[in-house]
Amino acid sequence: MKQKVLKRSKKAALVLMVPTATFLMAGCGQEEAVQTAAFETVDQCAAYFNPEQCRADLGQALTMHTQVAPKYTDKAACETDFGVGQCETPAQAAAAAGTEPPAQAQASSGGFFMPMMMGFLAGQMLNRSGGQLKQPVQAQPLYKSRDDRSTFRTATNTPVARGVGPTYIKPSSVQPKAAGTVNRGGFGAQAAKRSSSTKSFGG
Amino acid sequence: MKKVACDERPGWRSYAESVGFEFHTFDGEAYWDETAYYQFNLRQIEQDLEEPTEELHQMALALVDDIIRDEEKLQQLAIPEKFWDFVADSWRTKAPSLYGRLDLVYDGTGPAKLLELNYDTPTSLFETGFFQWVWLEDQIMRGKVPQGADQFNSLQDQLEAAFAELPLANPLYFASVANSIEDKGTVMYLMDIAKQAGLDSRFIELEQLGEASGQLVDLDGYAIGGLFKLYPWEFMVQEDFASVILSSQTQWLEPGWKMLLSNKGILPLLWQKHQGHPNLLESHFEQPGQSFGAGWVRKPLFSREGANVELVTQSGEKISEPGPYADSPFIRQKLQQLPKFGDSYTMIGSWVVGNSAAGIGIREDNSLITKDSSRFLPHIILD
Repeated sequence: MKQKVLKRSKKAALVLMVPTATFLMAGCGQEEAVQTAAFETVDQCAAYFNPEQCRADLGQALTMHTQVAPKYTDKAACETDFGVGQCETPAQAAAAAGTEPPAQAQASSGGFFMPMMMGFLAGQMLNRSGGQLKQPVQAQPLYKSRDDRSTFRTATNTPVARGVGPTYIKPSSVQPKAAGTVNRGGFGAQAAKRSSSTKSFGG
Repeated sequence: MKKVACDERPGWRSYAESVGFEFHTFDGEAYWDETAYYQFNLRQIEQDLEEPTEELHQMALALVDDIIRDEEKLQQLAIPEKFWDFVADSWRTKAPSLYGRLDLVYDGTGPAKLLELNYDTPTSLFETGFFQWVWLEDQIMRGKVPQGADQFNSLQDQLEAAFAELPLANPLYFASVANSIEDKGTVMYLMDIAKQAGLDSRFIELEQLGEASGQLVDLDGYAIGGLFKLYPWEFMVQEDFASVILSSQTQWLEPGWKMLLSNKGILPLLWQKHQGHPNLLESHFEQPGQSFGAGWVRKPLFSREGANVELVTQSGEKISEPGPYADSPFIRQKLQQLPKFGDSYTMIGSWVVGNSAAGIGIREDNSLITKDSSRFLPHIILD
């Protein structure tokens, strides 16, 4: 007999909105490690991934470098952590990368120092199983500390790879964290202004 | 298409609250209304709603290409010049989009007519995708709805597939304004589906979003790689963090190019390109000093839930809805009155996920203008 094709979903289940289900789920949420890779150059990256995506990942890492790198007011303090000759100013970083330093960095770069970028994490997975490419890991700059020159670390000092090449990481451990002042409350003003007559800002 | 009275499920309100549907009643008035349902046959669903939905969607997408190349059109849509490149880049890089809703006038016969596209921040998602689905299963089980009944509602399946297949950031953040339980409910439902699709979905109040060195950050200062925002683009581009939209690496849902399609100015542009199309209503940009006569509707480019809409019926009766959106240009659209079932005027919201039609949700109001408080009724398909 021919199966009738239904016009409705096969299931409509909730896992977060139902308190009991959330309770049952607790403990099952082990985060899986994914396989990505650390590189120093686009050429190294191109051996594993699409070269165009490699260039994009490096570009994103360079952009983020001034934003997320640990900041020091004193060059010596930076070199204590990252090694002599391994620290630079945002202007030097921008010159090396051939980009304009971000406006905020320019305005506040009264001579602060940060470690040089030593490599980048690819925002791509090696062990993807068909389907479209997902991006569980954000491409980002990598650094090396003074006392451990082989290990790539994120800006928040999480070790991610021993040398160039593939590595397993948990995506949540390498979420880039901004260094510096955080401003809040920059979105929502229009809602506050118009809130007397509407209960939703959807539609 | 007909309206059929039906017994309510006993205890549905407490069930609704147990699954996070706290806005089923608003200001003492029913929002979710299951004292009746609408019944369609399969031909009405497939030929009159599903096919036109996908066709109108493709026509709208094709317009994006035209608009981003045309300064005059960008100006007509009141897109701030500072964001022209942002919008164009989001389109050229194929920034993924999750969903949208077309609002249609349809009475069971003849072509459905497009009233507008809610392509940036559509709500009534949980009501459509989950609550009306459960209603059907319950009522079939209780014998209140015929056994073979179906529903045009693949919304949750399609959203789950979209979350699983689109190249989205993970973790993916979801934001809505702090004081709207309706918006929070919609966002929670999306987070729930995203989680089922394997994403790490995280909520943040819109007002709590942070900025550090040009990057959008969460409460702990972590960069937000991807953000679903149930908050209109046209608001965001004029707020304090407008420049963060341009500097942050954040992947936005809906993407920047949806700014063009959620705009009522898309209606005259669609009409200019496809004049006489059976699913379109004649529409024009309002001219200064233009008189406003019988058989026309006036809508702001940016407005939601019927706010600031006015219309004059064929008999000259003037109906208007107040609202906070009087500060944008207006369009004129030929009036196509909503069909009346009993005492109520009925509108159909037709969902799109990716490029596929994904189901409908029905809204009823006592007035010709459908709004925030309009009741939501379930539907069935029966041949």
